[in-house]
Amino acid sequence: MPELTGLERLNKALDLGQPDTVPHFEFLIHQQVRDAILPGASYEDFIEHMDLDGATVFDKTAWGYETLDQAQGIARDQWGGTVRFTAEDLAHPMEPAIKTEADLDNYTPPDPDLPWRYERLERLVKRFKGQRAVIATITDVFDVARESLLGDVAYFKAMIAQPEMVERVNDVVLNYHLGYLKNCIDVGVDIFVITGDFATTQGPMVSPRHTARFLTPALKKLVEAAHACGVRVIKHTDGNIWKIFDLIVETGTNGIHPIDPEAGMDIGEAKDRYGERVCLVGNIDCGPLLSWGTPEEVRQEVKSCITKAGRGGGLICMSSNSIHSAVKPENYRAMVAAIREYGKYPLSLD
Amino acid sequence: MPDFSELSQSVIDGDGEAAREIAAQLLDAGTEARDILSQGMIPGIRRVGELFGSGEYFLPELLMSGEAMRAALEVIKPVLSRQETPPEGKYLIGTVRNDVHNIGKDIVIMMLEGNGWEVTDLGVDVPPEAFCKAVSENDYQIMGMSALLTSTMPGFKETIEALKQAGLRDRVKIMIGGAPVTQALADEVGADACATDAAQAIAKARQLISEPGKETSRCQN
Repeated sequence: MPELTGLERLNKALDLGQPDTVPHFEFLIHQQVRDAILPGASYEDFIEHMDLDGATVFDKTAWGYETLDQAQGIARDQWGGTVRFTAEDLAHPMEPAIKTEADLDNYTPPDPDLPWRYERLERLVKRFKGQRAVIATITDVFDVARESLLGDVAYFKAMIAQPEMVERVNDVVLNYHLGYLKNCIDVGVDIFVITGDFATTQGPMVSPRHTARFLTPALKKLVEAAHACGVRVIKHTDGNIWKIFDLIVETGTNGIHPIDPEAGMDIGEAKDRYGERVCLVGNIDCGPLLSWGTPEEVRQEVKSCITKAGRGGGLICMSSNSIHSAVKPENYRAMVAAIREYGKYPLSLD
Repeated sequence: MPDFSELSQSVIDGDGEAAREIAAQLLDAGTEARDILSQGMIPGIRRVGELFGSGEYFLPELLMSGEAMRAALEVIKPVLSRQETPPEGKYLIGTVRNDVHNIGKDIVIMMLEGNGWEVTDLGVDVPPEAFCKAVSENDYQIMGMSALLTSTMPGFKETIEALKQAGLRDRVKIMIGGAPVTQALADEVGADACATDAAQAIAKARQLISEPGKETSRCQN
């Protein structure tokens, strides 16, 4: 088989086919790790240097922020909630935007059509289009509605006490996301990753009944909108999702990430149960293993992941969340090398 | 002997209005406030903890039950205060330095308060010196720290070391919690107990002060 481009390789795996090698990309690679491997390089140069199959742009980098306290890193995000920037790359919500139904009645959502939101995506498209997948994340409606608009505790309680309010808030976010998604497709995005957790290490945050009412319908609408334009989707959710795995698959998502090893999810079991319906994306532990393990332990884990889930294709091998600041650079390098060593089809592990 | 089962059930159902109403009726009928708490409300919230632990309840149900506890507590609290009923214990809590993820901590606080604990919340991104200052100034039985990220977990050890340096380590029992927490980590940093969800946190806290010399059950991951 002639060597595929990164884009072809990822799409093949997402279509449950067998590419030339198991594909690899990351949602996020912390600058500290990038600098340790290729000092001073831009993100795009790093992607090229490591020959990754895709380059990712986060939707949160296309959100508007108004600085409130520079020293503390506190800002108001475009949804009206306050967030705090930390040593990690992404902002974390502090105070929600909506506290009462009156706040919701008077709420003005952000505008997805502002051209500056797409500048970074345009740069990635210009650099990589047709060769490597240009991947855009969209933060799940459940995540934005819960964290930025209503607040975690209020959102969870409202699911029982004020379900219509939850649906109204979800719709506000979904409408923005549908506009953002359409604009990203017009710019040239190849794959969407819908980020935002549905579960903790113990299990789903909300019951399967609530998941089916409040979480998966919005995800399904995003998946359908992407598919209508020929763009594939990966749903990311940390945590133990066994109880809601079917509900997520039923949205039509092409891939599910990360089959969280820290939550006791076994990718071999996921392959057996769901490998014919959805591409598995993961699941090299970015907690203790990539942070504190040795390159040899990482290599063995990659081998195990590909052995369990690589047969016949339908696997994208990557970290279980991100290459964050605590990941040892040598471990990330070992992981990429091992994917190429063990991931060549036909697998010598078969 | 009053019937406390309806009150327990209202807490289990997360029905704050019913919990408030039944607690008020029991008080009006001359029931001791401490009995309403210990025989009606606490059995209810303990059952909620079991249901959460077994995967039958999820965060919305847990939080609504916490709300029902709070509603009933509001009714009986003035009477409890007059009777000088001591709280279950005093608990100091916060997320470690550089960690700003508060949902787990906030749920634990809600459950602790619902279980009769007096809680001081230091908030998020709490430096070791702030934990030390609070411990030195108050008589907390337990100090809880949480962290979500692998990159912020060293905060557990830093804080415990700072307490040792300040000669304060033996003044409190220390619990750690959060998604990446394991029993091995608790052992490594020198914590007295760890918990991976709110129900575990309540049970461990109670165990730490009721059986102070005894090791708590191992952390389930």
